[in-house]
Formats: sequence, C-alpha cells, structure tokens
Amino acid sequence: MTVNVTRRQFFKLGAAGVASSSMAMMGFAPESAEASVRQFKLTHAKETRNNCTYCSVGCGILIYSHGDGSKNARQEVFHIEGDPDHPVSRGSLCPKGSGLLDFVRSEGRLEYPQVRAPGSSEWKRVSWDEALDKIARYIKDDRDANFVERDENGGTVNHWTTTGFLAASGSSNEAGYITHKVVRNLGMVAFDNQARV
Amino acid sequence: MTAEHQAEHDYGAIPGGVVEPPVVVLPERRLFSHRARRLRDLSRRMRSMADFLGFAARLAQAQHQVLQKRTSTFQPDSQAFDLALEHGMPPLSVQSLQADLDWQEDLDALCDALELNVGQAQQQLIRQLRQLDHGARREIATEVLNAGRGTQDTRAFMPLVAAVLQVAWLRQCSVLPRPPKRAEGTAQTVCPCCGALPVASLIQVGRERSRVRYMQCSICAAEWYMERARCTTCFETGKLDYVGLEGEDGKRPLPIRAETCGDCQSYVKIIHRDTEVDADALADDLASLGLDIMIARERDIGRSSYNPWLIAG
Repeated sequence: MTVNVTRRQFFKLGAAGVASSSMAMMGFAPESAEASVRQFKLTHAKETRNNCTYCSVGCGILIYSHGDGSKNARQEVFHIEGDPDHPVSRGSLCPKGSGLLDFVRSEGRLEYPQVRAPGSSEWKRVSWDEALDKIARYIKDDRDANFVERDENGGTVNHWTTTGFLAASGSSNEAGYITHKVVRNLGMVAFDNQARV
Repeated sequence: MTAEHQAEHDYGAIPGGVVEPPVVVLPERRLFSHRARRLRDLSRRMRSMADFLGFAARLAQAQHQVLQKRTSTFQPDSQAFDLALEHGMPPLSVQSLQADLDWQEDLDALCDALELNVGQAQQQLIRQLRQLDHGARREIATEVLNAGRGTQDTRAFMPLVAAVLQVAWLRQCSVLPRPPKRAEGTAQTVCPCCGALPVASLIQVGRERSRVRYMQCSICAAEWYMERARCTTCFETGKLDYVGLEGEDGKRPLPIRAETCGDCQSYVKIIHRDTEVDADALADDLASLGLDIMIARERDIGRSSYNPWLIAG
C-alpha cells in the first residue's frame, strides 16, 4: 500500500490551512470559501444503527437524532430509515417499520406504568416499583390459587393455565432464553411472543 | 432466488429477493464530463467560490478531452492483473505503476486543453508547469500519490499533476479484467484498485446500491463499499457526530454532511446522491470547503480523506 494507514496525517482545512493551500497558491481568493458559508450555521446529528422491534425479522434501521450528545442538548429522533447494510433487509422496511417515527413520537405512546383499577374507567400513573410489586403479587396469588399439580387421572402435569405471558420481540437471544426459562418454570402454558404478530 | 421469483410478467419483473450491493465499482469513462457539469452547476450555486469552481470545471472538462483523445501505450504483463486480484493486492498500485504509465505526455495535452480557458494567474502557472523537466514533474506526482502537502513552490502545481494522474489511472481501470475483491482490515481505508486515499464518501443510488455508502478513490475514482454509521478510518461507532450546514430557511445548501469521529479525531464527508443525484465526490467536496473551515473553527479534528485538487498548506 502506498499510504501508511496507521500513521496517516489528518489535514486541517481551517482558515489558515486554506490561506496557504493549493487554491490560494493558484491565484484564487482563499476568503471566498469562508464567504460561501457565512449565511449558514452548523447542525449536529447522530446516526444510530438499531433493529426494528415490530416482528421477528428484525430489519436493520438507522435512527437519526438531533443534538450533539452534550449534557444540556435535548435529544430528538427526527428520521428513521431502513439500514442498507443490514444483511437480511438491505434497507427495506414494511409499513410498520416505515411508520416507526410516528410510533416514537405518538401522543398515545406509553412512557411509564399505569394502572386501571377493576371497575374504574381511569388510568392512574404508578411508579415502576409499585407496578412490579403489584404484578408479582398478582402472579403469586393467581398461581397459588390455580396451579395444577395432577390431572383427574392422577398424572403429573404441573401447569398453570389461568395467566398468560406475551414476550417482546425486541429482545436478544439471551433475553429470550431467560424469558422462556422463567415462564415455563412457573408452569405457565399460555405463552406467546410479539415477534409472531 | 427461486425460479418463481425470476419469472417475467407482462408488467415486468419484480425484484427477486435481497440484492447484495457490489463491493467495488469501477469508474465510468464519462466521469470527468459529469464532474465538469456538476462543477459548473456548483459554481453558479456557491457564488463567492465561482472563480475557483469555474476553473475546476474547466480542469475536469480538459481531463475529459485528454481521456477521449489519447490512449495509453502501457501494456501490462498479461498475468499481472490476475495475480494481483487473486492475492488481494491493488492491481493498479500507484507505487508500481507510477514509472510505467506515460502520463507526462498526457500532462502536455492537458495543458493544451486548459491553457486558453483559464485566468491569467493560472495561465502563468501552466506555462511554468510546461517548463518543468520530467524529473521535477515526477517528484510532484510522487507527492500527490503519497497524499502529501508539497512545498510552497510545488503546491500550486499539484492539482494539475493530480488531474492528469486521475486520467491515466481511470484509463487503466477500464482494462481491468474484473473489479478487485473487498479488502480486509485497515486496508479498507485505501482504494482496493490503486491503494490511494479516498476523496470523500458517497451515499449511492440505483437498484443494487440504493442508499449504500461507498468511498471514492482520489486518484482512480473506483468506489468501494463502506458500512454506514461507522468511522471509515478507525471503524469505531461510539463517538460519531454528523455535521452539516443549514440556511435560515432550514434547507441544506449542499447535499453534504461530515461524519466526525471522536475516537480518531478525524472526519470524512458524506455526499448524498440520494438527495441530489448529480452530486460528485470530488466536486461537492471542493464546493463545501466552507464546511471544513467551520468544522476547524469548532473542533480540533482533521480530514481523513485527500482531495488532490485542494491541498491544505
């Protein structure tokens, strides 16, 4: 290779670099470059690789967001498109994937746990701790009440059919493995995954 | 792909399955005339840089004329290309071909094509270049091919010498039996065809490479695949910041963003052909020189690419 890639110099083309650049040496006004951008401002954005969570295909997506990552800057997703480098989807998205930005910005998007008490028509915001305690309590009570060890013939079944579980599709293999172990070990039979939707 | 997918219908065929983008794309012979047209267009849009971009347009047009009119006498060893391609070496290595290619005569032809169409300062420059002996010209060429800065005395000649080297190498690309394979590791940061540095990166268009990113070589103009949202120099992904220009109306003056990397403190421009199909790596990089100046003002980072028509001092 001609260019030593590990010891490469990075050229700085600031105002000083331009003033002694080939452009200036050839007889062109170096200030013209600066003048050409006077009326513009710099914008910063992030481009992040991710996967669509809406089905088991897991198409690659590129998420564009504003903000340069500094502490006070507000981050905001402004565009999502298919990732052309993804080996499975090669940049294409289905209507669900194409609408991802609307999901992100949806006014109806769930951002925290809420509970609607039996008989009530109102949703009440609760903390994560409260929500998880409540869910654990319901699971325990329902399992204690309805767990079936043996069927009518006396055969061992160890199942629990009164509660079901819907797992997320945006999970890793490992998260899927753990989910499966937890749910099946409880004896739960009704078990499905958002990835099939 | 199954036979069913490939079936032709009365209304044409649907794309069958997932299309893999090509890893290396060799340049077309029309490149210089496209570039000249783009530069003329840019010289009207970036009015304060009109003189420089207008000159660059005439230089690209002169390249096109030299490429059309002249042929190379260089005959590669019949097995040399195959051997290089087989072993993943750049078949048109700038180092090994520099002595073999007869670009000196191309340079005289380029000066002829250019001389009457440029301003006085550049005419004088061309006259001085003609008077340089072959050895001095060769030294300038070596500096260009090594992606160097030259000296105070030679820097002004470098874009002209670079222009003729681009013609000589692009001409050789058309005799390659097939495009090279994708390079591995850090070799991906240089051209798989000739080993030179990229001039910028392009987001491409077309069925096979829609929105796929390619680096374009600063010398032979071959394009090679480079994953998006990843630094093209150190391959890190964590500290990338995409810097662009925006007018008061919220519009971008040029289809360009710079991908800056906080890990290796460098950046490369991304030219979006998906928003302006006429955009050209070298031309749009020149026209967006203002972006380089603004980046340099804000942060202490440098360009990882090399544009031989604009060499920093």
